[in-house]
Amino acid sequence: MLKTRFGGVLFQAVAFVLAMSFVSLILVAVGASPLEAYKNMLTGSVGSMRKLAEVLVSFVPLLLVTAGLLLTFSAGLWNIGVEGQIVLGAIGTTWALRYFVDSTLPPALIIALSILAGMFAGALWAAFAGILKTFGGVNEIFGGLGLNFVSTALTLYLIFGPWKREGVASMSGTEPFPDIFSLPQLPDLRISPWALGIALVAIVVVYFILQGTYFGLRIKAVGKNFRAAYLLGIPTWQYSLYSFLICGALAGAAGALQVTAVYHRLIPSISSGYGYLGLMVAMLINYQAIWAVPVAFFFAALNIGSIQLPIVLKLDSSLSGVLQGVLVLFVLLMEGVRQKFVKKV
Amino acid sequence: MITELFSTTVLIGILASGIRLATPYLYAAIGETFSQKSGVLNLGVEGQMLLGCFAAFYVAFTTGNLWLGVLAAMIVGAVMGLAMAFVTVNLHAQQGISGIGFYLFGLGMSDLLFQRLMGTVETVKGFQKIYIPGLSDIPGIGEILFNQNILVYGAYLLVPIAWFVLNKTTLGLKIRAVGENPDAADSLGVSVAQVRYFTIILGGTLSGVAGASLSIALLNVFQQNMTSGLGFIAVALVYFGAWKPVGVLGGALLFSMVNSLQLWIQVLGIPVPSDIAVMMPYVLTILVLVATVSRVRAPSALTKPFERDE
Repeated sequence: MLKTRFGGVLFQAVAFVLAMSFVSLILVAVGASPLEAYKNMLTGSVGSMRKLAEVLVSFVPLLLVTAGLLLTFSAGLWNIGVEGQIVLGAIGTTWALRYFVDSTLPPALIIALSILAGMFAGALWAAFAGILKTFGGVNEIFGGLGLNFVSTALTLYLIFGPWKREGVASMSGTEPFPDIFSLPQLPDLRISPWALGIALVAIVVVYFILQGTYFGLRIKAVGKNFRAAYLLGIPTWQYSLYSFLICGALAGAAGALQVTAVYHRLIPSISSGYGYLGLMVAMLINYQAIWAVPVAFFFAALNIGSIQLPIVLKLDSSLSGVLQGVLVLFVLLMEGVRQKFVKKV
Repeated sequence: MITELFSTTVLIGILASGIRLATPYLYAAIGETFSQKSGVLNLGVEGQMLLGCFAAFYVAFTTGNLWLGVLAAMIVGAVMGLAMAFVTVNLHAQQGISGIGFYLFGLGMSDLLFQRLMGTVETVKGFQKIYIPGLSDIPGIGEILFNQNILVYGAYLLVPIAWFVLNKTTLGLKIRAVGENPDAADSLGVSVAQVRYFTIILGGTLSGVAGASLSIALLNVFQQNMTSGLGFIAVALVYFGAWKPVGVLGGALLFSMVNSLQLWIQVLGIPVPSDIAVMMPYVLTILVLVATVSRVRAPSALTKPFERDE
């Protein structure tokens, strides 16, 4: 029974319960009521349409990043540079918007071109990590970490240098773009249906690539057994690079949407840690695309739900980070336990 | 203005603070060197450091005893290391992901504890500079090398110790064997699990000290996310230093000297555009990246969980 899908879900459920219990213990230890905290997080995330829209705003980049990472994970790659790829996407989009801002092209076309520019920039950044890995022999974790720092530096440089605000440059970012260059949002809600649509299309496409195409099969073959795939005649380095490029483009799209649908400008922390969070989501769902939507939604809800904690309970919103971290660790723990059981049975 | 930078006093100031700033990188990166040498990539350094920062600061602030603060940071780091070891060694978890899990946990937890237990930013009188008769009086050199606090000396002392342990002792041989060829080490009766537990817990302990060196020796304050990527840079420094303590020392010094230069440029109000100054340490990371393309070989078993073939 433990080997079945049901067994897997059962262990994940146990992991979830253990994680919640562990965090509850921490809360009790610091003198806060866990029930109150969880109740507040629930009402703070799905309690009203407005809150729900906020959750979706956080859900969009997370889902896009997760979708991309499913491909690199399937190819057996650790694309930790995804954080930088989001940043580059935002930079590419900002660049394009600045370039077209005075042109006579219709705004819709300009937005579309800018998002494409962001995707291109993200893919380019991923290609760096990919090339360093395939041709330089640089482990993608180290290459990715380095490139993440470089992308942060580049953002700071642009915000304080060439793209400086009129007057004084500040950490609040570049000059906001006029409203016509924003993706349209629902009335009174912050979520743009276009952004949501793009993210959902992305995960569906990735699902089909992995489940139903020859291309996806080859990527998985490279990930499962690099040498065997090579001997079977699959151009392994090409497929590694493809997975990097697609992941980079999707991460770039996440950055592009942060600019066009959320912040309307480039800010220093534009990636907001979605890259690391996406890595966790992809790993939590055990690389099964079908689970990406609910789990990414759950993580987004934790993010938003914890925002009002400081006001109500004098608990910091950092609780969501604790919960997410603990959740991942307990899932790892239960997965390890399950493996031991499976072997014995 | 720019000539001010080359006056002796300023040069000495830059070098002295460069030496000092390298302290947290050294503790964290030397600890990481041990765990990577044994084949375990610990990406949770940043989280261990943050909790170490808080533990050291809180204990020092409430008890007034700085050494108790260091001890608290070591214990916190060691406990996180123990948890990491259990997850990666016994449960064969992916090392990268468990590391990021520990990072998020440490980031959130240090902040949560700070909000609950303290609430406001406080300062503490941290470790003071130690005057060494004779040495501290040497003109220039005395100011740069021998007018530092005890945790700075400790960090530099750690480098030869780490080198000696890794290269000249049986324990070091075991660590390297486990990182290069765990199957062979296992067949010779070396317990892969034991060695890795040791290195991961040691790494965690040193990351804790790295955190303490920030909060009660260098900055003497605790703020949320005060490490701001320092732990990740430490991981990169291990790579830069080609898994050798002396190489790690070189990388840490290079990085901190540039950081120190950047800070002094801002302090002196030299008209270097602020965007260039802010970028300098990061530009250095680019150079680090380029420099490391020179394919130094990583320990063969790095990131691979060990399982005995039945």
